Amino acid sequence: MAKVLVIEDDTFLRELIVQKLDQGGYDIAEAVDGEEGVKQAKAEKPDIILLDLILPGIDGFEVLRQLKEDETLSSIPVLILSNLGQKEDIEKGMKLGAKGFLIKAHFTPGEIIEKIKSILA
Amino acid sequence: MEKETRTTRSIIARTQRLEEMRAALLNMLEDTEEARRDAEAERNKIQTIITNFSDGLLVFNPNGRLDVINPHAEKIFGIQAEDALGLTKEELVRFPTMMASLKILNEKEDVFRREVLIQETFVAELTKIQIRLGRTPMGIMVIFHDITREKEIERLKTEFVSLTAHQLRTPLSAIKWILRALSEGDVGELEAKQKDMLEKAYNSNERMIDLINDLLNVTKIEEGRYLYQPVLSHITDVVNVVVKDYIELAKRKDIVFKVQKPLRKLPRVLIDKEKISLAIQNLIDNAIKYTPRKGTVTVSVVGSSKEVKVSVQDSGMGIPKAQQNRVFGKFFRATNAQTVDTEGSGLGLYLVKNIVEAHDGKVDFISTAQKGTTFTITLPVKEEVGEFLKKF
Repeated sequence: MAKVLVIEDDTFLRELIVQKLDQGGYDIAEAVDGEEGVKQAKAEKPDIILLDLILPGIDGFEVLRQLKEDETLSSIPVLILSNLGQKEDIEKGMKLGAKGFLIKAHFTPGEIIEKIKSILA
Repeated sequence: MEKETRTTRSIIARTQRLEEMRAALLNMLEDTEEARRDAEAERNKIQTIITNFSDGLLVFNPNGRLDVINPHAEKIFGIQAEDALGLTKEELVRFPTMMASLKILNEKEDVFRREVLIQETFVAELTKIQIRLGRTPMGIMVIFHDITREKEIERLKTEFVSLTAHQLRTPLSAIKWILRALSEGDVGELEAKQKDMLEKAYNSNERMIDLINDLLNVTKIEEGRYLYQPVLSHITDVVNVVVKDYIELAKRKDIVFKVQKPLRKLPRVLIDKEKISLAIQNLIDNAIKYTPRKGTVTVSVVGSSKEVKVSVQDSGMGIPKAQQNRVFGKFFRATNAQTVDTEGSGLGLYLVKNIVEAHDGKVDFISTAQKGTTFTITLPVKEEVGEFLKKF
């Protein structure tokens, strides 16, 4: 089964999305901040990463940059899931190599899972 | 003896006349002296006012040379009067702090309270007035009013709203996700009635999310970084895409929804497609919302080589005459509109106006109570693409 790494500092949102992924039959790894996110990515080698942008410590953009710089991780698709949604943010994320950019308030967990499914297909 | 006496009398009389004349002369001298003192006092008074004036003040004489610079203006520009007096506008360019203001001064018309950035941390409002004595031009007076503090407060406010709006999104996302999880039966099956309630909560939450988006758009406008990569586009294409989204909504209200497009192809306009779409969306949305069942809404596109116009006409309730001058204000809602739709944010038309004006266009309307309203967006067709792009 495909493994999803969820990097999200808000416990509540993380639990909700994890629960939904769990129901969808995915393997799950979790991280609550950027540094742990990079560490988990290296350790778990997930198939896809769900990445929040506003994180304690190093932010999501920096995490994305580090992931894309690491040869062993650069091929893992990263889906940004954030409350930011200004064009500048979206463009910056996409330029850094994100596969997609979802604004949290505009998608339900179900739709997010659909997106993950379509990227992995 | 007789003769001597006459001579003496004549001398005495003349002396007397001379003395009278002397007194008169002295009198006149005194008057002149007094007038001179008055004039000087008057001049001192004006000088004192200019010197102590809390705004910066420049006066250029009719030959275009700097005649007056008050201490406050010296401070604003960081220059000394003796270095600047007598110089022309062209010569004043040597002071970098004056560049932005001089550019405005080269415009022909009077200027009233135009914002000008003088230094990194100093913003002023510039007012330029032609001064005349009777019909004789006496030159130009320029006033600089410090609004740095106002700008800073405005910036803080905008930043606060932007931050708050972003922060609010997190709990709203959580609510959205939870409601969806509940109504999809993730934690147990629900009865129809319970589902219905949850659906209502979900819709309320969606409205809140929309409102936050509107607020974020407003803050972006106020931070002056709203337009994004304008591209040359056909306005009819933009209208077509927007209109499609409203066909269903209009049908549900039994509204006759028509689109009138020009037969000939219109020149392209340089626009931020997404923002112009948002503006047109807002107008159509309002038109449908405030038009009763079985009414009509017509979107029409017309244009010439100079400009294109998009109009949205409805047969709705109209805008009360007394409130028409506030229609484009932030958070404005017409009293009759509030009775039909209690949840509008009052930001829609404010956004429309700002979007259109950022494109150097204009938006206006004609409205008759109980008959309907027509909003028209006019966008200029630009020749010099480069000039337009420079602004962003």
